[in-house]
Amino acid sequence: MRAVRTLFCIAFGLLLADSLNAYGQSAPSREYQVKAVFLFNFTQFVDWPPAAFPADTASLVIGVLGDDPFGPYLDDIVRGEQVNNRRLTVRRFRRPEDIGACQVLFISRSQDKNLEKVLSEVKRNDVLTVSDADAFALRGGMIQLATENGKIRLKINVDAARASSLTISSKLLRSAEIVASRDD
Amino acid sequence: MRRLAILCAVSCLALLAPSALAQATDTIPPPSVLKRLSVDQLMDIEVTSVSRKAEKLSETASAIQVITRDEIRRSGATSIPEALRLAPNLQVAQVGSHQWAITARGFNSTTANKLLVLIDGRSVYTPLFSGVFWDIQDVLLEDIDRIEVISGPGGAVWGANAVNGVINIITRSSRGTQGAYAEAGGGTSLNDFAGARYGGTLGGHATFRAYGKYFDRDNEVYPSGDDATDSWRMGQGGFRIDAQTSARDALMVSADGYGGNENVFTGGTTTASGGNLSSRWSHTISPTSGMSLQLYYDHTQLSNPEPASQFSPGGTLKDRLDTYDLDFEHRLAFGQRNRIVWGLGYRFTHDVVTNSRPLGFFPSHLDHSLVSGFVQDEIALAQNVFLTLGTKLEHNDYTGFEAEPTARLRWSMSQKHMVWAAVSRAVRTPSRVDRDLKEPTQFPILLEGSSDFESETLIAYELGYRAALTNKISASVSTFYNDYSDLRSASFTPATIIPFFFANNLEGETHGIELSATYQPLAWWRLRAGFDVLKESLHVKPGEVDINHALNETADPERQCSLNSSFDLPRNVEFDAGLRSVDKIYTNNGGVLAIVPKYTDMNLRLGWHATRQLELSVAGQNLLHKHHPEFGVPDPTRVEILRAVYGKVSWRF
Repeated sequence: MRAVRTLFCIAFGLLLADSLNAYGQSAPSREYQVKAVFLFNFTQFVDWPPAAFPADTASLVIGVLGDDPFGPYLDDIVRGEQVNNRRLTVRRFRRPEDIGACQVLFISRSQDKNLEKVLSEVKRNDVLTVSDADAFALRGGMIQLATENGKIRLKINVDAARASSLTISSKLLRSAEIVASRDD
Repeated sequence: MRRLAILCAVSCLALLAPSALAQATDTIPPPSVLKRLSVDQLMDIEVTSVSRKAEKLSETASAIQVITRDEIRRSGATSIPEALRLAPNLQVAQVGSHQWAITARGFNSTTANKLLVLIDGRSVYTPLFSGVFWDIQDVLLEDIDRIEVISGPGGAVWGANAVNGVINIITRSSRGTQGAYAEAGGGTSLNDFAGARYGGTLGGHATFRAYGKYFDRDNEVYPSGDDATDSWRMGQGGFRIDAQTSARDALMVSADGYGGNENVFTGGTTTASGGNLSSRWSHTISPTSGMSLQLYYDHTQLSNPEPASQFSPGGTLKDRLDTYDLDFEHRLAFGQRNRIVWGLGYRFTHDVVTNSRPLGFFPSHLDHSLVSGFVQDEIALAQNVFLTLGTKLEHNDYTGFEAEPTARLRWSMSQKHMVWAAVSRAVRTPSRVDRDLKEPTQFPILLEGSSDFESETLIAYELGYRAALTNKISASVSTFYNDYSDLRSASFTPATIIPFFFANNLEGETHGIELSATYQPLAWWRLRAGFDVLKESLHVKPGEVDINHALNETADPERQCSLNSSFDLPRNVEFDAGLRSVDKIYTNNGGVLAIVPKYTDMNLRLGWHATRQLELSVAGQNLLHKHHPEFGVPDPTRVEILRAVYGKVSWRF
């Protein structure tokens, strides 16, 4: 029994050390690491009209609305990257009324209940809306990051993108499931 | 941490190749690597820990075959045993309308006892004979994500009874089964069937599905063509909920319930019912570590008519089994080279048998505890060479402590070629049949279990190779040499002759090779082929006795092969053909060899996706013979399997 007890102690020691170690760093889950890369990827596959930017030299802003699931990981991803000579930056908006200038807006699941309101507010500003909220594309969002069978699937509402002046590359569309807004 | 990330990146990159070798790993490449992946490659990364355990196994060096939902649908399979015919590394024989004999690497029988079967992590074996009642294992096939079939011992992770193989039936997350689905159809053999499922959301982060299904299967026949009176019907329903309770936590809860009755050719009707409730919590600690806790309860209830004989009047055997199981697992990266998984498990079974005169178990009530722990360490010896050392240690009430160690070496020679080798020990612990049986229960007792019956043990040596030869061709080869000792025999005391009793008087070796390949000659044509050779040589230990002369354990074909072809035709039509050829089987007929003739048979299926929502199909099974036997001894009452045709309508909306 002494051996068993020792083994238990070692096992739980490992568990504890591992947990402490993990909470010491700030990497998000695998899921959000990959989703962060998708956000970066979208900037390569979407064309914004010049009017979508406040100035010719302005950077391309990825906005994160609500509880931020990415942490500094998203900043690491876009650091040093450029799209059409524009730097990439990340801005966080806690509440819908805080939303400032951005070209990509990731709407966190924490904003699920404000979703329709947010979508209608950013509609006219040529913002690529992205979220992993349930049925996001059906509800009028542009790109939904859906997790199916442990992998991420893209669901793109082409009508929603078309209603703005954004052009989504066919390379991206080809890999995505095309959905239409629900008529209700 | 940084060096760890680089090591992970290296091991991941090797695995991100879009090939048969590509497996998800627990680790994820660093940002600089991720950013260079294409959208399709990103979509191919496993991001959740849902299939953590299974995904770990598939990446371990072992002889694994994976059957996908699409392959099951296109094969026309209507049950789990039929779907398992798609795994080239299994021996599958249909014994009657509701009876199957399924095994890996030999030792087949209707009470085959060297294969472990799990549905979503829930073990479905019965401690009565350490095997599976295949008739009561069901899911809505549409909800299956994949079936992983591993031939070879899996005892180091899965414990006793994973001697010759492990079957993992994994259903989809309810997140992937949103919306409504309905199917219905009927034909010969499978008279009529219907199933429906609805999936929806429960608030922001939780999804659910609920399903129900029913089928009614007709009799198979005797060699004369007369009905074998083994028709049956079964209904099942259940639900599953998946919730992402935080960015790091996932919760799954599922339940199933079923009931049905089966006519038995020897007279009377078997009734079977049961249900289960499972829950699993998975927590991601960091990109390289996580843990899961699983708890399930399973109840099965059987009532089986036992025929009269010259030694005993008939009767009804009833069995009520309750299983409570708790499993904890933790995986982590330790230092730069070690990936460790360890776990603890506890299982309690409460088995109550109502004995019949022809067959009984003593004691009739039995409570059993199984306590287990396992640890496995995958060590990166070099950039692409991994050594996995692990063992399970478990304690059961029959034989005490059992250890099942394994050592596995994996060498990824390039992105497309992988060689692996393994040495493992596995045990089959005694079942109630081995220990507690009396047949019949009163004088004159002919056969009984023995309290001296110990575990059967296996030392297995395996060598395998997997390759993605081109984008279109992938192949795998697995070879094995299995050394068994203390296998079950039926022995007797010379003075009294009867009762015969179970002992561990057999030993022997088996060896074989399992080949499989997929070939996609055209974008719309896919071929899958499998070929197995199995040689078995069992003998009675010197100076000991087996009344069956070591013939009772090896009712297996020496060769079997299969070829499946899938065409995607214009106008959303798909056409599939499956051909299988099974060598003759020598079965035991009271210590004398009997033969099941070799056979070749064919399944065809034509499907049409009339609209995005509607699919119509017609399938034919066992088309080459009016009826043919797959198992058992030659006898006017040996059941043969009929040619069958059925039509099916599926609707998604």
